[in-house]
Amino acid sequence: MPVKVAFIQLSSCWGCWQSLLDLHEALLDVIPQLDIVFWHTVVDYKFKDLEGLPDGSVDLGLTEGFCRTEEDVHLLKLARQKCKMLVSYGACSTFGGLPALLNLYPIDEALRRKFMEAESVVDGRIPDRVVPKMLDYVKPNPSIVKYDLLVPGCPPEPKLIAEVLTSLLKGEMPKLKERTLCDECPRVKSDVVVVKKIKRDFEGIPDPEKCLLEQGYICMGPATRAGCGAVCPSAGVPCKGCMGPGPNVLDQGAKMLSALASIVDYESVSPEELVKAVKDVVGTFSRFTLPSAIIPRAVTDRRK
Amino acid sequence: MGEERTIVIEPATRLEGHAKIVLKLNERGEVDDLMFSITLTRMFEKFLEGRLAEQAPRLTPRICGICPEPHHVCSLEAVEAAWDVTPPSAAVKLRDLLMQGKQISSHALHFYALAAPDFLAGPFADPSVRNLVGIIKNMPDAAKKAIALMRVGQTICRYVGGRSVHPVTGIPGGMAKRLTEEERDELLKLVNEGEELADFTVEVTRKIVEGYLDVITKLGVVPTYYIGLNVEGVHTIYDPKATVRVMDPDGKVAADFPKGDYLKYAGERVAPHSYATHIFFKPAGYPDGIWRAGPLARINVADRMETPKAQELLKEFRDTVGRPCHATLAYNWARIIELVQAVEKAKKLLEDPEIVSADVKLETVTPKEGVGVAIVEAPRGTLIYNYWTDDEGVIKKANLIVATNNNIAAVEKSMLVTAKQIFEDKIHEKLKFPEPWFK
Repeated sequence: MPVKVAFIQLSSCWGCWQSLLDLHEALLDVIPQLDIVFWHTVVDYKFKDLEGLPDGSVDLGLTEGFCRTEEDVHLLKLARQKCKMLVSYGACSTFGGLPALLNLYPIDEALRRKFMEAESVVDGRIPDRVVPKMLDYVKPNPSIVKYDLLVPGCPPEPKLIAEVLTSLLKGEMPKLKERTLCDECPRVKSDVVVVKKIKRDFEGIPDPEKCLLEQGYICMGPATRAGCGAVCPSAGVPCKGCMGPGPNVLDQGAKMLSALASIVDYESVSPEELVKAVKDVVGTFSRFTLPSAIIPRAVTDRRK
Repeated sequence: MGEERTIVIEPATRLEGHAKIVLKLNERGEVDDLMFSITLTRMFEKFLEGRLAEQAPRLTPRICGICPEPHHVCSLEAVEAAWDVTPPSAAVKLRDLLMQGKQISSHALHFYALAAPDFLAGPFADPSVRNLVGIIKNMPDAAKKAIALMRVGQTICRYVGGRSVHPVTGIPGGMAKRLTEEERDELLKLVNEGEELADFTVEVTRKIVEGYLDVITKLGVVPTYYIGLNVEGVHTIYDPKATVRVMDPDGKVAADFPKGDYLKYAGERVAPHSYATHIFFKPAGYPDGIWRAGPLARINVADRMETPKAQELLKEFRDTVGRPCHATLAYNWARIIELVQAVEKAKKLLEDPEIVSADVKLETVTPKEGVGVAIVEAPRGTLIYNYWTDDEGVIKKANLIVATNNNIAAVEKSMLVTAKQIFEDKIHEKLKFPEPWFK
């Protein structure tokens, strides 16, 4: 019996589904096991088809993306209602994701920038007919509906997706790695670490073998969950934390700040200089997880 | 006399974004109004403000998960333009290879998953079979080839960009990762496989064109302007020397401008019913200046293709549907010509000894206050990035016109024309359709 699945796309980029397609030939084994009842980019079923299904009749639902509009919230609640098991698929769905950096700005300021003030706009106005209403700020999906499993990653790497799907199709609950990214990173680390200068990613030519953080580049490894295979540090660039907080970490950004503070040489870099060197604290430390952070959005009303 | 009717299609399916269609018919059954409503915007333009400019190439790929590579490259080069940074030539070649890899996988995905099911199963097929899964079940050999072709492109993306989705290696001043000789050899093997797969796809396309020629040349034929990059008339998706050509509906070149001048030529009109704006050729005004971007537009504006096999295919295309071709359904044919060129171009780049050079990044890059514009071609249309940075290299302001956004106004216009043909002229009862390949 094929497994009834619904692939739900909320506000997102489709990258998580692209990563699923990157299973390539393995798809030919997976797809025939599935009865796809909703996947709007691939199959022509409409919202009313999903709404018409009996509650709890879909074996497995995956949600990609976050709730930017009222329509997203409706679709997310519908997914929960129809699916026996609901999996949050990727960083946006699990934490709020990168585009939720917009939480740093009031929504009307953002709409004004895009639709009225942008340099190429003529006769600006804010769209208000037929379109779903924008929410003031992004909240993490797991605070809106209950999930059975959360899978991080922007996107989750194909290998991780294969592991998760294989377990789920066998009726088992997949387990995420309870380690930090540093544990799976092939770069060489020293026993005692002292960072004397914070570097921006374009500065110099990094040593290809050594830990990037030790070289002064802000690599989110110590605050990030393992499971991607340390794909970014292996490609020569620092991790930006898309797998979300490591095990037992409440706030990924706070964890990284504390990790950094413990290795920076205060003789060379004072705490004030450290913040100045980082320049964009939220975009650096909470890039994928702002809505899930202890302080999830700008709290100052900049309109006043 | 009937009754007024409103038909709502939500969501619009087998496209990469979020949209619905609202169609209003009057009591005589005529089409009164059609709205193509994009139901989402994430406003990257706003939250780019305050970010470190060198991080922008690692942020904006999330605009599109099917085509993050052109966003990565365009974002990167807008920063380099603002900072007056010229990367080493080997880095430019790697970026070109990354662009071609994505062109291959995205065009294969678009053709086999988004477009071909309508032709292979036919437009009247049941939604349960008219999709990629239907192709996998009913045409397993073609499905295998489609998946292999996507693998070829995505593997290039992974080797050059560091990840197959949301690349990370582009950095102001060059690339953070070189291509090793072993990786190059492996990719060359893959690209040779890709040539055969592309030839197969050309054959599928020829059968579709032959079977549907009546439909392609009669349904949804809509004259518009066209925009696309070119280097002295030669088709390109990525070239630091490229200029932006605009063709008018009569086929005359209306403009061919340097990238930095885009604000003189591109206007955005806000439609009250859509979170995506309507882009148009400013000198012609709105709605007359509505343009189209992507494969058909690039094929229309180009005098010739860059590579030999693709040039042969362009000749065949023009002998059949002319230039400019206004047939919306010819987009898929144009896409396959570009797919062939991307495979040829990837091979050429991989055969260039400089592609494995270790000199891929400048050691010193200095951020500065500046304004930078970069323009590349994403698989579905022209990408325009404009950044303003402060003296520490932090983004002050961003203006983006992205790929499919260029087509929103024209898609609405094509749908309106097509809806009138169907509801008022019942053209679907008169057109010649082939037997479906599967049911």
